[in-house]
Amino acid sequence: MKNAGTVAEEDLIRFHSGALTGAEREAILRRIGGDPAAQRLLAEWARQDAALRTLAGQAEALPPAMQAALDAARTEDRAGRWPVPAPPLRLAAAVALLAIGAAGGFLAARTGVAGAPAGRFAEAALGAHAVYVTEVAHPVEVQASQSEHLAKWLSKRLGHPIAAPDLGNSGFRLVGGRLLPAETGGPAAFFMYEDASGRRVTLYAVPGATAGDSAFRLAERGATESFYWVDGTLSCAVTGDIPRDDLRALALAAYDQLI
Amino acid sequence: MGVLDEIEAVIPRLRRAARVLTRDRAAADDLVQDCLERALARRHRWRGEGPVGAWMWKIMLNLHRDGLRRDAAHLVVVTGLPPAQAAGGGAEDRLALAEVEAAMARLPADQRQALVLVAVEGMSLAEAAGILGLPEGTLVSRLGRARAALRAMTGRGGGTGDQKATAEHRGEAG
Repeated sequence: MKNAGTVAEEDLIRFHSGALTGAEREAILRRIGGDPAAQRLLAEWARQDAALRTLAGQAEALPPAMQAALDAARTEDRAGRWPVPAPPLRLAAAVALLAIGAAGGFLAARTGVAGAPAGRFAEAALGAHAVYVTEVAHPVEVQASQSEHLAKWLSKRLGHPIAAPDLGNSGFRLVGGRLLPAETGGPAAFFMYEDASGRRVTLYAVPGATAGDSAFRLAERGATESFYWVDGTLSCAVTGDIPRDDLRALALAAYDQLI
Repeated sequence: MGVLDEIEAVIPRLRRAARVLTRDRAAADDLVQDCLERALARRHRWRGEGPVGAWMWKIMLNLHRDGLRRDAAHLVVVTGLPPAQAAGGGAEDRLALAEVEAAMARLPADQRQALVLVAVEGMSLAEAAGILGLPEGTLVSRLGRARAALRAMTGRGGGTGDQKATAEHRGEAG
């Protein structure tokens, strides 16, 4: 811990960031006055800020590539050629949010990822997520614009009917999907979704039961978490690096639509 | 001001921040270009949740984080790197820029992002916390760790900051 005498470092951070006003600010100023360690720390932070701003350099005119992208967008808007509108939301996702009680008692048992078949399934889902979520050029094999073809193709290859759930109610839009080898040696379906700020979540599904029950389980690898479950003849995992409650809502929406 | 104008207006600020995040002007502009293209592709689906600027910041920081995950170099373990030599003499007004730059590169990405929003961009804690999707208290402790680690790595603090930074690095790499 830092040795700032009477002034807590967190208060100093707030003070330095200009978050304190009025009486609060007066009070801390008085305490800083009697705390040489705090004064040294504030001076050091000011030097850090100055160095970082120098490293950032000056604001400059846009480079040609950025200007060109903006110009193209302006031309496009003037011509009224707007990209594909968002698809209409289906009701199912809304219903799913009410179905918390139905989701196998929703106990979200946290499991270690190694060992049991269920763990290997989650490991495979986390692995597929890690590989494709950072992919810029080819995140998916079949784009969302061909979602009907995607559903038909994957259903045929999996030998199990499957279509990408609609997660639009949670702000996630389907990017597309691909076929993957499953950890069982058979085929797996993989769908990718993205929200407006570029966060990606994936759905990984393998026909057949990989765990004994339909409880929702949670596996994690670093900051990435995966909710996974078995629904009779299909094992599914929804994986992402987003707040757990959001991920759980997405998993429930997917669960409801995949029944 | 239309969405496109607002997007254009925030770009110079994104570029400055990206330079500190990436340490490299070309990489910084690649990051901002990616961010711009994503934002442009989605501009008609953007429903006006909050300011356009905040939306652009979120896109860029997400891209930066994803890019680091792709880049194995980011997982280099920093344990054992000695703090830089303490600068001689008294408290000089300027830190050696190269030293600060190198130290920033060794900070965990989430600490670097927090510091860039507050120290370079001058955002309020509330604004930065909103963009990073963090409670304000979490941002405050993250900033504390980032500043302590920076201080230790530029040879101006005790060892405690360095240890904290190392622990966080391990957590991130694991």
